[in-house]
Amino acid sequence: MIENLKEISKDTLLQEVQKFADAKARFVTTVCSDLGDKLEVTYFFNYSPGMDMVALRMVVGKDEEVPSISGIYLTAVLSENEMFEQFGLKVKDMAIDFGGLMFLAKDSPVKPMVKDNAAGGKGGE
Amino acid sequence: MAPRTVAPFGPQHPVLPEPIQLKITYEDEKVVNVVPALGYGHRGIEKACEINDYPKNIHLCERICGICSCIHGISYCEVVERLWPMEIPPRAKYLRTIWSEMSRTHSHLLWLGLLADALGFESMFMQFWRIREKVLDLLEMTTGTRVTHSVSVVGGVRRDINDEQKKICIRTLQEVRKEAEALINVLATDPTVKARTVGKGVLTKEQAIMLGNNGPHLRASGVKEDCRMEGMQAYGELGFEPIVETDGDCYARTLVRARETLQAIDLQLEAFSKMPEGEIYVRPKGSPPANEAVFRSEQPRGECFYYAKGNGTRNLERLRVRTPTFANIPSLLVMLPGSELADVPVIVLSIDPCISCTER
Repeated sequence: MIENLKEISKDTLLQEVQKFADAKARFVTTVCSDLGDKLEVTYFFNYSPGMDMVALRMVVGKDEEVPSISGIYLTAVLSENEMFEQFGLKVKDMAIDFGGLMFLAKDSPVKPMVKDNAAGGKGGE
Repeated sequence: MAPRTVAPFGPQHPVLPEPIQLKITYEDEKVVNVVPALGYGHRGIEKACEINDYPKNIHLCERICGICSCIHGISYCEVVERLWPMEIPPRAKYLRTIWSEMSRTHSHLLWLGLLADALGFESMFMQFWRIREKVLDLLEMTTGTRVTHSVSVVGGVRRDINDEQKKICIRTLQEVRKEAEALINVLATDPTVKARTVGKGVLTKEQAIMLGNNGPHLRASGVKEDCRMEGMQAYGELGFEPIVETDGDCYARTLVRARETLQAIDLQLEAFSKMPEGEIYVRPKGSPPANEAVFRSEQPRGECFYYAKGNGTRNLERLRVRTPTFANIPSLLVMLPGSELADVPVIVLSIDPCISCTER
């Protein structure tokens, strides 16, 4: 169970993230999960100084576009690019857009973290 | 206006043990823009951790990074243990703490050597790496290997440290502390080292927080944040206090890591003196339940975030690993513009970049 988790929608994402920035909270990371027909995106923040962590979570359709928070937290740009290339999550207005080629190459598997995209066999079996 | 030039920094460069490229735009000798290029070492470990059953993932996670392999293995076990949740024996907590701090000691000694090398201080580079070998020998003696230790398992640890090994560890750590302290005193007071690091790559406290920095990189900017403050493993019983500097430059980052090297040795010695007798392993009941958990460990390079989601089977539904360097790279986009081209290697090195971790 994740403590201090708040469910939000993509429409209120920037507004909610701005509150963390106003409170001088540190952005920790995002976690994207494939739920089948939707994607679950969780944003983690840490209140500085100290180690109190809070999270925002939204569930979006696989074809939906979500706003980038990199205009507020530049450091989120790598996480957002990773979610795009690994899960296909469309993120609008990223501060740096690697075009799906941050970690992957042109001949890499497409959206490899999506559940129905096989990664090539059962490891170790 | 002088013409602007774009030059690649990396992926092969003497201060980069692992490949990353920075596309640096400069005018005269001043950096004006930086864009990172990643992807030289991506291995898809998060995906592989969904395919393998959960005990096998320990070995995968340990291979995220060679330097922090021990803490990656421990972090994976800790996050999976939180899915039940389950409690591991007190002695296992102490053993995990000791091996974590041994890893920090050898990692920081490695970095101090790399810094000396980057500054052209070759004899100091060799001295730091010489004493680092003694720590690697201790890891080999107590875990069986020097790099990927495979010593942590879900439910505790796989090996114990016996009394004879404990005596050797204490004696060797005391020697290493004495030698490291002497070297650090030279490094911290050397005029050339200061000339190359003081006032370079400065980040204020506010910048460091808003850029999501973590670890020594964050603490060098005056932010008292360290995952060990949460008291996991045995840290809550060891009187741990984070080491903080306030200047936010390359010199401050050097001092934080230097002082943490000595502190890590002190923590090991204290842990050895307080370690209780008893079991080192409890068998997990069944498969990880359908639940989700987060665990943050303090690796040598900073906060490492593990997220696990179970589904009641032996395979995890999702494992997410956000490593310290992944969060520290964006700070280069702020620190490097405006700096002298000659200072780029030291500023890049000052975040202690681990690209193997970053790309997983």
